[in-house]
Amino acid sequence: LSLSGNKTSKAARILLKSHNLRGQNPRPPTSHRRRSPPPPPPMDLSAVHAALSAKSYSAIATLCDDLFLQVASRGVATDDWPYAVHLLGHLYLNDLNSARFLWKTVPQEVKDAHPELGAIWKIGQCLWNRDYAGVYTSAQAFEWGPEISDFVTAFLESYRKRIFELLTSAYTTISIADVAHFMGMSEEDATNYAVQNGWSLDVATKMLTVRKQKPQTNQKLDASKLQRLTECVFHLEH
Amino acid sequence: SRPVSSPPTRRKAASRTAPDQTPESEPSSKGKAPSAAAAAAMESVEALVAHIQGLSGSADELAQLHGLLKQADGDALRAHSAGLLPFLSHLHPGAHSLGYLYLLDSFVSSSANLRAHAGGDLLVTVADFLTSCSADQIRMAPDKFLNVCRVLKNEVMQLNAPIRGIAPLRAAVRKIQTSSEQLTPLHAEYLMLCLLAKQYKAGLSVLEDDIFEVDQPKDLFLYCYYGAMIYIGLKKFRKALELLHNAVTAPMSSLNAITVEAYKKYVLVSLIQSGQVPSFPKYTSSTAQRNLKNHTQIYVDLSTCYGTGSYSDLETFIQSNAEAFQTDNNFGLVKQVLSSMYKRNIQRLTQTYLTLSLEDIASSVQLNTPKEAEMHVLRMIEDGEIHATINQKDGMVSFNEDPEQYKSSEMVEHIDSSIQRLMALSKKLTSIDQNISCDHAFLMKVSSSDLQMYFSFLPLCCPLLFSNKCE
Repeated sequence: LSLSGNKTSKAARILLKSHNLRGQNPRPPTSHRRRSPPPPPPMDLSAVHAALSAKSYSAIATLCDDLFLQVASRGVATDDWPYAVHLLGHLYLNDLNSARFLWKTVPQEVKDAHPELGAIWKIGQCLWNRDYAGVYTSAQAFEWGPEISDFVTAFLESYRKRIFELLTSAYTTISIADVAHFMGMSEEDATNYAVQNGWSLDVATKMLTVRKQKPQTNQKLDASKLQRLTECVFHLEH
Repeated sequence: SRPVSSPPTRRKAASRTAPDQTPESEPSSKGKAPSAAAAAAMESVEALVAHIQGLSGSADELAQLHGLLKQADGDALRAHSAGLLPFLSHLHPGAHSLGYLYLLDSFVSSSANLRAHAGGDLLVTVADFLTSCSADQIRMAPDKFLNVCRVLKNEVMQLNAPIRGIAPLRAAVRKIQTSSEQLTPLHAEYLMLCLLAKQYKAGLSVLEDDIFEVDQPKDLFLYCYYGAMIYIGLKKFRKALELLHNAVTAPMSSLNAITVEAYKKYVLVSLIQSGQVPSFPKYTSSTAQRNLKNHTQIYVDLSTCYGTGSYSDLETFIQSNAEAFQTDNNFGLVKQVLSSMYKRNIQRLTQTYLTLSLEDIASSVQLNTPKEAEMHVLRMIEDGEIHATINQKDGMVSFNEDPEQYKSSEMVEHIDSSIQRLMALSKKLTSIDQNISCDHAFLMKVSSSDLQMYFSFLPLCCPLLFSNKCE
């Protein structure tokens, strides 16, 4: 970078001199030495840190995607990119495809240097293989750094909620053991959680009966729809 | 041209440069002492730069500038293209886009220049230009713009860093498009970079627009093929099928390699999505209908094998042809076809049964244990591929109707926007039809008796033809 800087500044100095003689003037240089554009600034990750502190976790994946492309187009080395946070951002949205592709593009040296990243990927693998219980064990097995540990906790909470909703819609009756397995809880905790959500327990068979949620559908129609229908009929007539 | 303003302070700054460096002892960027001809060329480039700075204001000025640039293009710029780079820092890529483009295009058209600056911040300069240039100005010289984009693409590919080209090319596509309905050669190149860099979601921004204007058939074929690959990567198989369908049914007088590859993927994605490959629609070219299957025989055989519904037979077939699928880079997709077999067979059961035991499901679809069957059904429920509930106490699965009653306001919105889209499409089709019936070539081809018959029907469907609007 410095080499090309020197070359252009020499050419620039001839230019200045020759312009001087002819009375035309270039734009004022910011310094005497440099004509080439200043070196790209180091990665500006403030937006990512801000999102993490504000706990707006669902926005992290898109934010990181866009920022990563911008950074890459400036040719900045991406070894210090917060891959772990980026990857977890995709897992938080259950976007396993994007997570897989991101993992594939990370260079091996970075993977080796950041065990945290590998640990996040292990969670991703469990999600991909539908190893429902494995998600919890791999998340709880690692010592997370301070910035990411809140994110991991939030992820686990939202995952647990999602799995519970899945169980509610997929099962009419299910054994306590299975619920505990899916929820990553002890059988007692799982039973309490289920009962709190309205499920009923049959102690003898150790079965829980699911209480289905009535789907809330909004069925209000307003007058603007009438206008649309008119347009539609008019179009069909002609 | 307006003279460039010259505040006196600049002269002082210039005189502070090292006094011992004279033009004669100073090597030019080519490493040789500048000759008189080179100095003269530099002079003319300086003059050009002054023009660019002065004439980039209104549309009239730009037209005048364009003329000057076209004159300078050729010997003046190309012969001394190596020295052009420092001049770029005098110009603003946004305000002086046209002039900047001419200089940049001249510079990057020489491979010697590119080699000399490989790995430097030339790529950043180009990327900045593409992102900040003025769309109106660069559209005056589209070929040069496309050339600069192509050079950027080639350079990032050489550096094995396709991701570097994505953000700039994404901006470039929007700049050169005259409308969001126009397909440009950049679309396919952008999608290719996204695929290579595995940035699939980035590809979506360009795929979301409906395309109605195409200049070069090759652009369309590549766009459909790469676009389908992006959708396949994101597992949006229905959208992938739309694009592959277009690539397969597009008019063609002779078969091309892109269509053959597109058809292979078309077969595989159809099997994953709906379990069968639809026959060619009537508007498919006869070339495609007659020849495509001959070039893709194992895929046709695969779909036949899939139709039998036997997982083990399909697995055997795939193993024996694994090498061919690998060479085509379709093995991943083929494996997805295989794993869709369980899903397909379970879905078939819903047509016959209201409830079925997990054991019967397992034996029917060739799974080993009822627990495996339960996990498969659970996975399908999670992915929205089936409406069912599992009763562990009795070991039974109940197949349910789709709970959607199409009464909610979200659904009404969805239907509504689809109708709007269809109406817009229909209007567009009518106007294309009107334009064709005014077209000279069309009227020549149609014989006079056909023409009489055609005109007798015309007033019913194209009233505008008989007004002065037809040109």
